[in-house]
Amino acid sequence: MSDAMIARAAPRTARRADTLGLVVATIALAGLGIALPALGVSGYVRTLVYYGAFYLALGQAWNIMSGLTGYLSFAHGALSGIGAYGLVIAMNADWPMGASLAAAGGAAVLASLVIGATSLRLRGAAFTFATLFFQELMLLAVRKLPFAGGPGGLVLEQILPEWIAYVGMILLAAVATIGFALIRRSRLGIRVLAIKGDEDAAASVGIAATRLKLILFCVSALVAGLAGAVHALFTASLYPDVAFSVDLSLIALAVPLIGGVATASGPALGALLYVGLRELLQLFAPSAHLTILGLLLLAVVLFMRDGIGPTLARLLRWAR
Amino acid sequence: MSLALQLLVNGLVSGGLLGVAALGVALIFGVMRVVNFAHGEFITLGAYATWLLVSQLHLSPLVGLPVAFVLGGLVGVVVQAVVLSRVTGRPELDVLMVTYALSVLGLGLFAQGFGGDFRSYAEGPRGNLDIAGAIIGWRSLTVLLACVAMSGATLLVIQRTRLGLGLRALAQNRDSAATCGINVISAERLAFGLASGLAAAAGCLVSMIGTTTPNVGHDLVLDAFVVVILGGMGSISGALVGALALGLVQSVVGYALDDSWSRMVAYLLLYLIILLRPQGLFGRAAA
Repeated sequence: MSDAMIARAAPRTARRADTLGLVVATIALAGLGIALPALGVSGYVRTLVYYGAFYLALGQAWNIMSGLTGYLSFAHGALSGIGAYGLVIAMNADWPMGASLAAAGGAAVLASLVIGATSLRLRGAAFTFATLFFQELMLLAVRKLPFAGGPGGLVLEQILPEWIAYVGMILLAAVATIGFALIRRSRLGIRVLAIKGDEDAAASVGIAATRLKLILFCVSALVAGLAGAVHALFTASLYPDVAFSVDLSLIALAVPLIGGVATASGPALGALLYVGLRELLQLFAPSAHLTILGLLLLAVVLFMRDGIGPTLARLLRWAR
Repeated sequence: MSLALQLLVNGLVSGGLLGVAALGVALIFGVMRVVNFAHGEFITLGAYATWLLVSQLHLSPLVGLPVAFVLGGLVGVVVQAVVLSRVTGRPELDVLMVTYALSVLGLGLFAQGFGGDFRSYAEGPRGNLDIAGAIIGWRSLTVLLACVAMSGATLLVIQRTRLGLGLRALAQNRDSAATCGINVISAERLAFGLASGLAAAAGCLVSMIGTTTPNVGHDLVLDAFVVVILGGMGSISGALVGALALGLVQSVVGYALDDSWSRMVAYLLLYLIILLRPQGLFGRAAA
């Protein structure tokens, strides 16, 4: 049974209640996160919460495209890097912050249109290759571009209070999570899940597969670009090797895959686990980061296809 | 004139290495319909194995060639049997994720085991050959000859033996091949092992003319993917022709501009192919 059929089969009221619950929970958690500094938690906890929100925003961005359509993207790190550079270049040119954020998101969407228009009309691995090479190409290109600071990177000239990036990232992660849930529930979401299930069958009932995939990729790139832009406010300095690091693309796909791909709550669990794992590894095995992540991804794809969350839920039901 | 000759030889050497790497990618895709993102990690495996042989056991790097081939082949067969065979028939996303996770795991293991240092050695063929003003190192020449020999041997196996006939049948039509009595499971395992062995042997050659880092194979395989797409996914002769072409182009661009431009040219080429001729230069249009 495909995801689309399950989505259809569930009674409309039940789906509505699920979404409502998720929206309420997301708003409550985001409110708690924003209130944490006022409750007097340490800077360490604040940083962890911030990174959790950053990874969640990246993960939901990936989830909107790859989770729903099944087309694997390796470019979300590069899309967020474009957002970061867009924001810093715009703000250093004395643009107001709102306009700079819009420019950052716009730049990422433009990039996604370029990748998507070349590769999304094709089936199979073409899109994956296009994203993989886009990631590599951006890193090489940004090191060469004089207005992007070359290999030395860029510094955000304006000094901003720390809470702006903190609150901004939590809001972005919350909006992306709610947005994902709404997209998945919408007609668009159901049609896209039909594409994931069987693209030929979907096309034969009149679903414009290429256009829908492109729309989702643009939305996804917007979220990734904004995440990168807000993160640039947080770090205030950009280096090509960090902003366009393959690690960010890896995190963007690991977070939803670990937590539960194509679900709204999965990436939240994934982001939580990933931040926890990262801290533990930094303490006990700093060099084992990639090895552990590779093993974890392998285990999830081989044995827990729908992620750790749903697998745990099944185990609990089975144990009772 | 001597400059043109020099660029030609440099292009042939890097094109030859690229060809052996691309051969494996094309073989795996043709037979198993799997895009193997972990192919580069087999190259790195061969490079580190050779470096260990040379630096620890003081053997000639040429000994590394058969050792790397056997080691890569064995690891490949194990990986295919333990991991990849579990995802045959699953959605493409799963298969891509598995080979990608294997690649991440490999990168992690090499970084952990060997650190980020650049490893190289001075042993092995040395000295230069002067042909009409072009200086050609014996090392480069050895690498080129080994690449030609390996590609030639692989083509012979695929075109002239019963085993190759089975692999070609499998690449053409899985179901018909299975009906004709070809053991699909062992043929896939063998193809993957052969491709991994070739990759590791290429890694031995890479360690001879370059420096070995945890990313060395990963970077080479990105170019190999360009070549395989250029030649038509799964077409082995297309991949070899594409590899020589890209090697020559990169040699010229690398000389005229710099190394990162030559990589950018390769990646931009990929977008052009996807846009204009997605089935590759020699591939047939998808049905």
